[in-house]
Formats: sequence, C-alpha cells, structure tokens
Amino acid sequence: MKKFLAIVKHEYRKIVLKWTFLLGTLLFPILGLGFAIVPAIIFSMKGETTRLVVIDRSGKIAERLKDNLSAERIREKARQAAANVYGELNASQEEKIRSGTSQLASGFEFVDFDAAGKTLDQIRQELNIRAASDQIDAYLIIPQDINDPGARFEFRSRKAGDFVANDSIKDALNEAVRSQRLADANIDESKLAAINRSISFESKSISERGEEKDGDSLFIASLVIGMMIYISLTVYGQVIMGAVVEEKETRIAEILFSSARPFELMLGKLVGVGLAGLTQLGIWAGSLAGMGIFLSTQAEMAPFLESVPKITPLMLVYFLLYFLAGYFTYAAIFALIGSMVTTVQEGGQFAFPPIMIMLIGFYFGFAVVRDPNSELSFWVSMSPFFAPLTMPIRILAETPPICQIMLSLLINALAIAGLVWLTGRVYRVGMLMYGKRATIPEVLKWIKQA
Amino acid sequence: MSASSSSLRVDSVTKKFGDFTAVDDLSFEVRPGRVFGFLGPNGAGKTTTIRMIVGITLPDEGRIELWGRSVSGAVQERIGYLPEERGLYKKMKIADQLRYFAALKNVPSAVANKRIDQWLERLELTEWKNRKTTDLSKGMQQKVQFISTVLHDPDLLILDEPFSGLDPVNVEFMIEVLSEFRAKEKTIIFSTHLMETAERLCHDILLINRAQKVLSGSLRSIKEGYGKNLIALRAVGGEGILSDRSLVGRIVQNADEVVVELNKDADPQVLLKRLLDAGTVISKFEKIEPSLNDIFIDQVRGDAKARTEVEAE
Repeated sequence: MKKFLAIVKHEYRKIVLKWTFLLGTLLFPILGLGFAIVPAIIFSMKGETTRLVVIDRSGKIAERLKDNLSAERIREKARQAAANVYGELNASQEEKIRSGTSQLASGFEFVDFDAAGKTLDQIRQELNIRAASDQIDAYLIIPQDINDPGARFEFRSRKAGDFVANDSIKDALNEAVRSQRLADANIDESKLAAINRSISFESKSISERGEEKDGDSLFIASLVIGMMIYISLTVYGQVIMGAVVEEKETRIAEILFSSARPFELMLGKLVGVGLAGLTQLGIWAGSLAGMGIFLSTQAEMAPFLESVPKITPLMLVYFLLYFLAGYFTYAAIFALIGSMVTTVQEGGQFAFPPIMIMLIGFYFGFAVVRDPNSELSFWVSMSPFFAPLTMPIRILAETPPICQIMLSLLINALAIAGLVWLTGRVYRVGMLMYGKRATIPEVLKWIKQA
Repeated sequence: MSASSSSLRVDSVTKKFGDFTAVDDLSFEVRPGRVFGFLGPNGAGKTTTIRMIVGITLPDEGRIELWGRSVSGAVQERIGYLPEERGLYKKMKIADQLRYFAALKNVPSAVANKRIDQWLERLELTEWKNRKTTDLSKGMQQKVQFISTVLHDPDLLILDEPFSGLDPVNVEFMIEVLSEFRAKEKTIIFSTHLMETAERLCHDILLINRAQKVLSGSLRSIKEGYGKNLIALRAVGGEGILSDRSLVGRIVQNADEVVVELNKDADPQVLLKRLLDAGTVISKFEKIEPSLNDIFIDQVRGDAKARTEVEAE
C-alpha cells in the first residue's frame, strides 16, 4: 500500500507541478471569458459612416427611406427587436441597447447626385466610377414603378461584407416601400402594425414531476457539461498514454517492475493522473461557481440566471461518479494502447478509435437532451463507454429513477474492472517488449499468458 | 562452503516464450561476498534469467530462491537491479527521480534524502541535484542510474553491463564501490560481454549459451581445468615448424606475435628446440594461460559447431 501511494503521488506531482498544467487550468476560464466578452467588444466597435447615393426614379420613396435610416429610427427599431427577445426591458438595459445600437448604426450620409437627363446606364457608370474612387460607398436605384412585381431595387456597395449597414438599408427600404404601398391603398399604418403584432410565445418543458424547465438553456448547459467531460477525458487519456509510453521508451519500466507489481504500477498511474484531472476540474467548477455568484449580484443578469437549470448537490455527486467512470474507462484503453506501441507518435495514431467512441457518446448527448426518456436515451445511458458522456446530461435534463442510475453505475463499474484487468495483462508483458509495435494476435497471446 | 550459505539458488529453471525456449533447465548458486560473473553471448538467455531472479517474470518450471525464500515484494526490496536497457524520466529533476525509486523500495523519505545527498556527493553530481535528466551527459546519467540501484542498500546487486558508456575513471570508481559491497558480504551478480573486466572482477563464472549452461565454477578452477598448451611467440622464420600438425594444433596471428596452440601432449620444450635448430630468431617465447575471452569464444564456437554437426546428421 505504501508503494501504491508512492506511485500515485509520483504520477500526481509529475502532472500538477508542470507549468503546462497551470496554463491549461487557467486557460479554460480565460477562454470562456474571452468567448463571452470579445465578440461584444468587437461588435460594439464603431462602424464607419456609409456614404449613400439614392436615385429615386419613382420619386416617392427617398424621403421615407432617409427618415427610416435616421439614427432615432434605427435606435427605436433595435429597442423593439430587443423587447421581442427579452419580453420587458428595464431602464438600464434599455439604456445599454440604445447606446450599443447608436454606435452600431453610426450612420448614413446621403450624397446628392444630379441624375437629371441621364440614362440609367450613364448613372450606373458614373456612380461606379465614384465608388471606385472612394467618393461614395454605395448607391441605390429605386425603380419607377414600385408596385411592379418584376421591379428591381438595385443596391451596389463597395463594402459588401458590412452586413450590419446593408441589412439596415434593406430593412429601411422594405419598410419605406411598404408604407408607400399602404398609403397608396389608403390603409392606416399604425392600425396594421397593431393587427400584425406577433404573440409572445413562451416555451418551457415540464418534467415528470411537473416542474417547469427552460428548454434552450437546458440545451446549452448540456452542451457545456458534455463538452467539459469530453475534453477532460480526451486530454487525460492522452496524458496517461504519454506517461506509459515514456516509461516504456526510456526503459524505466524494467526498473519499476523489479520494485513493484505491474498491476500496482498501472493502477497507481491511473489514480494519480485521475486525481490531477479532478484537481483541474475542481478549479474549473470553483471558478464557474464563483462567476455564478458574481453574476447573481448583478441585477440585470437575473432573468438569465433564472433560466439556468438548477443543479443540486446530489447531481454534483452523480457528475463526479460519471466523470470517474468515464475517466477509468478511457484511461484504461489509452494505457493499453500506450503499452502496445513504441513511441508517442505511434500512440497518437492508435488513439483514434477511443476518441471516436467518445465523440459518438458526445453526440448521443444531443439525442438525450431532446428526449431524456426515449428508449435510445435509456440504452446509451446504461451502456459502458457511452454512459459517462450521456447520463450526466440525462440527469440534468430529467433525473431518471435512482435505480436506473445505480444500474448504469454498476454496469460501468463492471466494464471498468474488465478493462483494467485486460490492460493489466497487456501492460505487464508489453512494457518489456522493445523495438517494435505489438500486433493484435501478439496482444491476444499476452492476455492469455499466465 | 555448504549449499545453505548461498544467497541465490536457481534450481532447474525453464522459461519458454511460445515455441522458443529462452532458458532451459538452468541451475546455479551464488554465494555472498563474491562477485559472480554471468556471461554469455547475445540472446543466450541472460536477461530472461535476470528478470526471473528480480521477479519481473516467473519461471515456467523450476524454482528460484533468494535467502531461502521465493521472490516476493519483501525480497525485491533487498535487490538492486541495474538493467542493461535503462533510463531516467527525461523531464524530471534528478533528486525527485531518486526519491521515487527509493520510495518504491520502501526506503523512508528522511533516510532516502540523506543517502541521495551522500551518493551525489561521492559521484560528484551534487550540483546537478535539481537539474533535469536532459541537462546531463550520458555518463552522468549512468551514474545517476547506478545511485538508484544502490540507494536502498541492497543485499543482492545485479548489474547488467554496468560499465558501458563510462569513462575509465568512473569505471575504476565503480569497481571500488563494488569491492565495498563485497566487503560487506553482499552478493554481486555481474553480467557483461567484456571478458577482460569479468576476468579482473569475478570470482565465480557462469557461462550460458543457447539457453543452457556451458561452463561454471570459480575462475581459478575453470582456467586450470582449461589446460590448453598455449605459447606466445615473437620470432622471425620457423613457419615450416609451426605448420607441423603433429606438434601444433593451430596458430592465431596477433598484431606483433603469434599465439601457438600446441597439441595436448606436445612439449613446449620440443617446439623451442626445433625453432632454435632451424635458426629462428626468437624475441619472445612464453607459456600463457588461456584468457577468459579465449574460453568464451572457444566454448560458444564449439557449441555452435557441435550443433551444426548434430543438425547435419
């Protein structure tokens, strides 16, 4: 037992005391923060003013369009769009959106152009030249008869990629034309808007216990948890493989085997690396919880936090158990591969099958979150290899009866015992075989060897 | 010495890998306080035998006893094994690795720390204590590996080609350490291809070839029993006499002299007289003992020859 602890301690320190561990541990929260903040910063950067020429051959649209593209109108539209998403807005949020969108659509400058007496082709040619020489950014040609179904509204822009500005123009134009048509047909615009207002559709799912859950945020939470399990299993599986191959490659195995039993060495390695993984996961979970607590003090995040699925302490225990099940399943497979191959590179090629299985399990997670009680969800959350990736999601979406969880844990524990036994047999012989990669028949022979 | 005083007893041990027999019915004993030379060509079964002694693999048949007990965890803690293929963790500090190897032999950490400092100082590696393996030269790594073998003060030391890659100064130093171990009545098993070193260090010899014992006993008795009639000769002329098959078995031409192997009953004096009578100018004429190298080559070749003859029949 003392030797076993020495092995565990050695493997644990070997990983945790490396600066790459520190980097990896800090990188995840930083990346998460980055994904949340960076897009917001980028999109809030002020766009340049778009210089626009409007050729209104119908003579009815230009004024309405200019009006629609004014800063006040754009702000108003953004507020309405936001209101559709969030329901009701409080004062501070409204303020934010207002300042945000006023920056976004920071403007259109209407450039005058004398079209009198010129043909359409002449106009196009002249405007193209002006655009090419950077005098204007875009031009719009409104056809003579806006009610003709074949009429084309020609919009040409130097900045085809500026989708924010282009969309604003398209929306404003659409609206201007519609308003004109309504006016032509003598229909009151505000009345029509009231009739057309869409209903407020609130979608929540009901669990078997009759509790309401938010479907969208459940999906996102499942994705995050599935991703976290998948990534840590892949990373720590490869760490195990690297450690095994190193001892084989440097021939340290020979010395180790003369001091401790191979099985003890292998298990010590699995446990030591596993503890390092738990340390990292603990830090991540801690920082997530810290972020949650911080966010909950921000009043404006209240509606968002309300929609986050409730995670109970019991769920955390389940998650931990399934993380361990997944870890030991895949770590044993990676250790087995490590003791078969001769170099880390060679091991990398053979890492493909277990990673593929993990990825399939990860995708099964989507099926589970859509219908946690389907037959498929039941079977994948029972089976070895897949349960560690799917059962936590099923528990989050809708906790199955405890007997199912226990059965799934039992099945996985048995599978792990079998895998560890198998890996132990291969490890014992494979670690002392230098020079060439083992073939499958050879490995089968090692397993049978007493 | 009686059999009970031997620290290692290998009794009719056989090990097979599939159809291949690596070790075939091998028996020998090793006594404490003596250096035991375990010799044999590549692929003879040396490493397999050693692995069975240190408990890495188990024999298919036969028994191995260390201090009267079969190999177990407690017995393993008294063995120091330096394999031929050996290594260190690349990215780990020297002191940390040594501590780990000591912990695997159940050495309390305070004791281990003290011994690590002592050994590093003795081998002039103190300043490398907190450096990584990749910073060390090959020779320094060898020395660190040696320290890891002796940190737990083992009673049985098994060294497989311990001197390969070491400079002469360090070889001498290691030989000094070995004699200290021997003085403390510890058992040393020493495996090598270098017959000169074996001849210098070993008291007892076991030569194996093709999984089987070829020769064993004390170096002295082996040499005496291998009573070959060898003459080292440096002379000008006399070629005709040396090709006389009734007198000379064969000759080996060395750089500046000829080693003449006389027939078993031939008298060296007769050869000398005939050479002088023929007017040969002799600058060296010396009766020599067979070297361990000669015995080794002779036995291994003879073995191979006998085998081809058997196969030809």
